[in-house]
Amino acid sequence: MTKITLDDISLKDFTLGNLPRLQELRRLSFARKPEICIERARYVTRYLRDKDDPTDSPEVRQARKVNYFLQRKRPVFHDHNLLAGSTTSKALGAPLFPEFFALTLWPELDTVSTRAKNPQKLTPDEARELNLEIFPYWMDKNVLELTRKRISNTESAQSLKLFESLVFFIAAKAGCISHAVPAYEAMLELGLSGLIDMASVREAAAFLLASDEGDRQADFYRAVQISLQGIIQYAEHLADEAVTLAGVADDPEVRQEFLDMAKVCQQVPAGPATTFREAVNAIWICQVGIHAENINMAMSPGRLDQILYPYYKRDMEAGRLDIGRAIELIGCLWLKIADNVTMVPEASEEMFGGAGTVPAITLGGVDADGEDAVNDLTYIMLRVTELLCIRDPNVNARYDYEKNSSDYCRRVSEVILNTKAVPAFFNDHANITALTGQGESIEHARDYAVIGCVELASSGRDYPASSSIMLNLAAPLEMALFCGKRPITGEEQIGPSTPDPATLNSFEEFWEVFKTQLDWLIEKAIELNEHMGAVHQQMMPSPLLSAFFEGPLDKGKDLVQGGSLYNSSGATHIAFADVVDSLNAIEQTVFIDKKYRFAELLQMVKADFAGAEGEKMRLYLKNRAPKYGTEHPLARKNARNIVGHLFNLYQSHTNYRGGLYRPAYWTMTNHAGLGKITGALPHGRKSGELFASGITPVSGAAPELTACLNAVAELGGECVPGCWALNIKYSPETDVEKMTERFAQTIEAYFRSGGQQVQFNIMTYEMLLDAKKHPEKYPELMVRVSGYSAYFKDLNELMKDELITRTMYDLANGKSVAYLPENGGKQ
Amino acid sequence: MKKALVGEIGRYAVHDGPGIRTTVFFKGCPLRCPWCHNPELIADRPEIAFFSDRCIGCGECRELCPEAALEVDKIARINRSRCSGCGLCVESCPTRALELVGRRYDVEELTSILLRDRLFYQASGGGVTLSGGEPTAQLAFCGKLLQRLHREGIHTAIETNGFFDWDKFEAICLPYLDLILFDVKIADSGRHREITGIGNEVILANLQRLLDARPDDVIARIPLIPGYTADQENITRLAALLKEFKVRRCSLLPYHPYGLAKAEKTRGKDNTLPQKPMNNRALHKWKRFFTDFDIVDP
Repeated sequence: MTKITLDDISLKDFTLGNLPRLQELRRLSFARKPEICIERARYVTRYLRDKDDPTDSPEVRQARKVNYFLQRKRPVFHDHNLLAGSTTSKALGAPLFPEFFALTLWPELDTVSTRAKNPQKLTPDEARELNLEIFPYWMDKNVLELTRKRISNTESAQSLKLFESLVFFIAAKAGCISHAVPAYEAMLELGLSGLIDMASVREAAAFLLASDEGDRQADFYRAVQISLQGIIQYAEHLADEAVTLAGVADDPEVRQEFLDMAKVCQQVPAGPATTFREAVNAIWICQVGIHAENINMAMSPGRLDQILYPYYKRDMEAGRLDIGRAIELIGCLWLKIADNVTMVPEASEEMFGGAGTVPAITLGGVDADGEDAVNDLTYIMLRVTELLCIRDPNVNARYDYEKNSSDYCRRVSEVILNTKAVPAFFNDHANITALTGQGESIEHARDYAVIGCVELASSGRDYPASSSIMLNLAAPLEMALFCGKRPITGEEQIGPSTPDPATLNSFEEFWEVFKTQLDWLIEKAIELNEHMGAVHQQMMPSPLLSAFFEGPLDKGKDLVQGGSLYNSSGATHIAFADVVDSLNAIEQTVFIDKKYRFAELLQMVKADFAGAEGEKMRLYLKNRAPKYGTEHPLARKNARNIVGHLFNLYQSHTNYRGGLYRPAYWTMTNHAGLGKITGALPHGRKSGELFASGITPVSGAAPELTACLNAVAELGGECVPGCWALNIKYSPETDVEKMTERFAQTIEAYFRSGGQQVQFNIMTYEMLLDAKKHPEKYPELMVRVSGYSAYFKDLNELMKDELITRTMYDLANGKSVAYLPENGGKQ
Repeated sequence: MKKALVGEIGRYAVHDGPGIRTTVFFKGCPLRCPWCHNPELIADRPEIAFFSDRCIGCGECRELCPEAALEVDKIARINRSRCSGCGLCVESCPTRALELVGRRYDVEELTSILLRDRLFYQASGGGVTLSGGEPTAQLAFCGKLLQRLHREGIHTAIETNGFFDWDKFEAICLPYLDLILFDVKIADSGRHREITGIGNEVILANLQRLLDARPDDVIARIPLIPGYTADQENITRLAALLKEFKVRRCSLLPYHPYGLAKAEKTRGKDNTLPQKPMNNRALHKWKRFFTDFDIVDP
């Protein structure tokens, strides 16, 4: 039965022109400069320094710390957004989490406000407070330092060293776990008070067990109540402040707006949501609350078109709501979600510059019964996404080609063509298969939502630490080529001392050598992640977030202790396509054609293909060796083998929460940064050239669109439970209607052949080159990076080049268009 | 005929029939139309195409050529009179400056390639189109291929100049064809012969029979070539002819100088054709002659 009551699913009649509030808020969102907000750092530091009781359980200590901050968090109203609550005290704020990397700001306190690239404003008073009061307290207490303390003088110390060199893997837990999709249904139905009552009853029951386990559970239930109480108090402060502001407002309309907001905050999130507006604001205040405890990285609101639908439907049927108002409220939510950024020290600009905080929203797809879940709100949220065209939230569209209508697929396609970038498309069949392959029930798998970039989670049931490890696959390849050493780390023996490839007799032998290095590196990365997980368990449990999950309140166990229904860890991989192509080149030219001897190839790779002979070899390897992204059988085999091997390897490891490791293929901006510091590789890539992004083939290696999509799609499903980012660039066409049709058909075919995800940039080489040259002409140009959106102007030069040189396909003939920079990108 | 000579396999073709298709460009054509879009597909033997902009002058090709047909100064040059089209040089070229146009496929190999995009056909109502060159110049192979594709449930189309043996075509191709895109160029047979090298009697007779047999599945296609087909007299006569034949659907193909650059590489410069594509106004003018028909997008 269709849930669509809209006459026009594209909602063309609603524009920014007739939604002046959204237009103004959007303008502000582009005009605002990010400011660092020290409020959280100040209060958690004061709490720990002056009030903390170390004899309490880690969960209770965390809850009290969070509650202390939420009680003191300033209720501020920066603009005419209809929703109360803000992530920080600043209009566009970067909150500080001294538990993680905030101390990297210490040497930059004087420069962060004025640096050339993406400055973040910090007042002199606040800089002084950080310098004298806050940072000194944390010197030896952040996750990284506690990990160091824990493993120094043990065998695990090498894993930390590998991480800190930044060229092997990133142990992301030093910066966050976050990355989760909470479920807000129970909060909306019962209110936080209802959840607190539930925890209170269970606390009493746990005490009656009169055991250590019972005491631990009771402590956890107590921590849940304390932390949720913090959110309720924050909401009360918002209500009080709104009343005050109403009292001093001259404009009667503004006065009424504040009174309305006060009323909303008096009801939610403490009590059940009784209207659509209350539900939207309750979710927003809880998001703010979650960020008092967890750093703002990929904390994803999930399937809002499903969660909010009952409230929308009831209000619409009662005549309390109209489409325009619903659009306005959703628009206000989108803009609120974008009210924060992460603090980025200058050094990290190289790796992550331009990223938002990637809170993902997931639309459409099927419901728990496997039926079409698309409803009016799906289209309202698509329209808002189309109208606002802002970096965050990261909007994703699920598509089941059997259950969702082709109208829906076309409408999503149209929004992508109009915004030139969003939303990203997710295939229900392949992704549900990926999750059931992880032992999730079919109903739970069908309720998946996207976390952050592309990762998958059953909403509120999966605590997947999906960004635990980011591993550079080119590192083990180089170690396989050079007997466990890497050009960048010189003569140091890093990995196992494997045989010189020149002594090998077959490609199979080299594949074994590569796996030896790969497996060794992954063991190291997992080892460090386990240690950091243990540090998190002591220092950063999440009793507040636990309240929004299925599992913790039943088991009496925090998420970080394994309280969730599903407890995996995620590892993503950088340079996948480059490594597949290198293996192809070695297998074909050295072992099959015997065109080059391995020693000869190694020598040229080491010399970065210098000289005329080197260049000739490089061009041959680049142009004639088999490529991932074509249907060459050898390339297909090597791609499948890596994906299969990584899957088996990770799945053989159980993490500190009792779940399995899940491989994924998304790269944020790491493929550019890591490419820059990696030597030449056997597929004809010169030293320092950027890697391909996500699971995308190397630029220029996949000339035919259908072959490219087929080659990627066949890797999909069970072996990629963490999902992937496939970046496709299309040149825009003048006949948007015709292009939309082909676009949607192409998506369907790619999904039917197994592709899990795809995201687009609808732009030409020429336009992107021009945007690099004249940033002032493109102040709002939004691009897809690898799983998230960024404003082109904010990206570092490397990433701009990566975006520019990505293969562009012409959807009028399915062919790649050659990149000719000497013509200014013109063809 | 066990194997066919194919010049190119064009995937994601969206102008050769409905939906997203794969077009098989057979090599070899009995006609010699000066405006040919695919002049590299006219000769019925493999040829080496040379992309001078990719050549780095490394000389690998010269060392391998058994006919000594390659000279390399700053860049390579093919002596066409010596070249046998063996393709050895192509394999050695590090930059793909040399490409072999024309490879032999058997039905199974070609079918397996064509089936790779089956899901794209399915999602778009597309299929496979045989084109060229002239596919019916390798009629027996086309018949087998079409039969094989039909067994797989793939929608099939052919783009033909109409110069084929009707009885054979009817027996081995037509039963497995869903759509026939039939070129009609010049009404006057003498002029047809003068320009394309062959008179139009067989072509028109075949069109007539085809329309009798499968009136709904034929689209007549008229290339609008300034100086050759696009003149008042020819277009008037063609329109009358199509009406007399009871053609229902037709497509007008506005001139595009697409083939010019390609032709230059093998046959030298043709100054009789314009450098610019036909504009919409001219196309509109010619469209008015075809009001009796369903004009469909090419």
